Amino acid sequence: MGAVTFDEVTKKFGDVVAVDRFSVRIEDGEFMVLLGPSGCGKSTALRMIAGLEEVSGGILSIGERVVNNVAARDRDIAMVFQSYALYPHMTVAKNIESPLAANRKVRLPAAERATRVAEAAEILGLTDYLGRKPGELSGGQRQRVALARAIVRRPEVFLMDEPLSNLDAKLRTQTRLELVDLHRRLGTTFVYVTHDQVEAMTMADRIVVINEGRIQQVGAPQAVYESPANLFVATFIGSPPMNLISGKVSASAGGSVEVTTDAGTVTSTCSASLSKGADVVVGIRPEHLSLSETTSSGKGLRAKVENIELLGHERHVICSAAGSKIVFRQANDAAPVALGQEVTLDAEPDGTHLFDPTSTQRLN
Amino acid sequence: MSDIPTTSTEATAGSPDAPAMPVPLGKGVRRFGRRLSDSALAYLLLLPSLIVFGVFAYYPLYRLFWYATHHQSRFRNRPATYVGFSQIRDTLTGTDFKDGLLHSGLFMVYTVPLGLILGILLAVSAHRRLKGIKIFQTIFSSTVASSVAVASVVFLTLVNAEIGYFRDVSWLSLKNPTSALFAVSLSAVWQNLGLTFIVVLAALQTVPDELIEAATLDGYGAIRRFFKITVPTISPALLFLAIVLVVFALQAYAQIEILTGGGPSGGTETLLFKIADPSGVRSLGEKASLSLGLFVLTAVVAGAQFGIMSKRVHYGD
Repeated sequence: MGAVTFDEVTKKFGDVVAVDRFSVRIEDGEFMVLLGPSGCGKSTALRMIAGLEEVSGGILSIGERVVNNVAARDRDIAMVFQSYALYPHMTVAKNIESPLAANRKVRLPAAERATRVAEAAEILGLTDYLGRKPGELSGGQRQRVALARAIVRRPEVFLMDEPLSNLDAKLRTQTRLELVDLHRRLGTTFVYVTHDQVEAMTMADRIVVINEGRIQQVGAPQAVYESPANLFVATFIGSPPMNLISGKVSASAGGSVEVTTDAGTVTSTCSASLSKGADVVVGIRPEHLSLSETTSSGKGLRAKVENIELLGHERHVICSAAGSKIVFRQANDAAPVALGQEVTLDAEPDGTHLFDPTSTQRLN
Repeated sequence: MSDIPTTSTEATAGSPDAPAMPVPLGKGVRRFGRRLSDSALAYLLLLPSLIVFGVFAYYPLYRLFWYATHHQSRFRNRPATYVGFSQIRDTLTGTDFKDGLLHSGLFMVYTVPLGLILGILLAVSAHRRLKGIKIFQTIFSSTVASSVAVASVVFLTLVNAEIGYFRDVSWLSLKNPTSALFAVSLSAVWQNLGLTFIVVLAALQTVPDELIEAATLDGYGAIRRFFKITVPTISPALLFLAIVLVVFALQAYAQIEILTGGGPSGGTETLLFKIADPSGVRSLGEKASLSLGLFVLTAVVAGAQFGIMSKRVHYGD
């Protein structure tokens, strides 16, 4: 079966640790996205599954088989590269057929190969282009040829390394949906590497957030978004990013914590009991802030409007509050605010996250 | 030069109102005038290259033809007499031309495939990310920087019949016509190796890593991957080298002059060597006729290479 298990897997290039003790199990049939900034080790992790990089330590398995020492061609995986890596001198048909014909020892009969190529071309709408060479195709068509070359071998695991990054924005949105659809039809494990949080949120069953070679959080997109495990995940996922303000715990009782910051006081839902006076970082997403109706309660964050971004369906209001930048969202039919206006912002207690400033871990 | 007039003609014919309504006279005159000045400008811009080609290519070709169709005594005091094509026919059917053709052909057969294969082998072995690989790359490409004369003298110290390091190696002996031609060819292979190496290495470095990785995942073994993926990808560079090496082979002169002087008993006299004729045994008309033969041979070989290989050469996107 096509489950992929990382057990304390490490990859070193000389003294540089690219992947640091990865432990995660990608379930059979799952669409798993490895998400992180460039250079975080996500591509290296993918390339280890492919067999293009050796594992420096730990155990990597595909299905029940340990593949640390299995050659790439024997791993029963297929990979879609960022550049598509189509063979420029071969026709689309020959490109798609390549994984079936390349290895002489396990080559399928010609008739069987032709059927499989026709089938893959049919699935990806390439039947009319089989005789062309990659140079005569558009970016989107080349991308589909790369996908066809991957599905034709019916692998246990599909690996995709930023396959959409060479497409224009419109085509990328469309292809995202097609990939999700393809995953549903095939029911095979997909491991997908991207730095684009939108791709991760829209396509993944689960996301592995990676930074500096380490796994930061593993979870369903919504769970990762709603309760980020640490400050990195909190700021990496979400656009505009989560607002962060430093403060001290001023009261903690009955499942809620009150934090006093330089800009004002906020309340957070928190089951843990925090000691009074402890330093915390408060994180609030822009949609969890709203203009306060009453300015006299003493609660809320005092801020000054510095800029307003109009997006058509909503506005992003950028404010400064005691030296920190705070962004909040407003529906476009809400009463407009003016530049320079002093406002008080209320934060939803359920949407107010608390992090430890030293360990950066989540507290509530 | 025909581009500009053609384009404006097409523009006139293709304009949508042209067939439907009569074109006012003034408009037509203006168009004609503009066309005229456009082509005048085009010819003016082409003039410098026309002059260069005229002086250095077409006029010499004409003179070559003139010499080939005139008989001229080796003693230049007598005027040349027009002999038509007889001198060309006699020269190109004579044993001198046939011997030269044979030697040039053998030189080509010895140098081109061997040079290409060795260059590819060296380039492939130097195309990897290792510490200090630059040193090897520099050594392998060093023959590019040495002149043919220097390289030939170096080679002479190896194969010289009296003092050469390899003087007892029979298949490199300069005393035997057959082995002498091979020895001279080997020196040419060695001299061209730097160029072949650099061009193939540069071509290998343009092959994307992802292409090779994709081929690895597809299941190609190392050797099949090289022939099925790498070689087609670098085929334009290989075609270029094949043509250049053939031209080099047909134009080889200095290494023959230095190593054997055409001997022993004319065994290393290639066509070009006979044309250069350092000992001055041929008349100007004969040499011109030989030149015409070499010209046609070069054109045919290069044309054939383009014809045969362009079907198998892939020029990227």
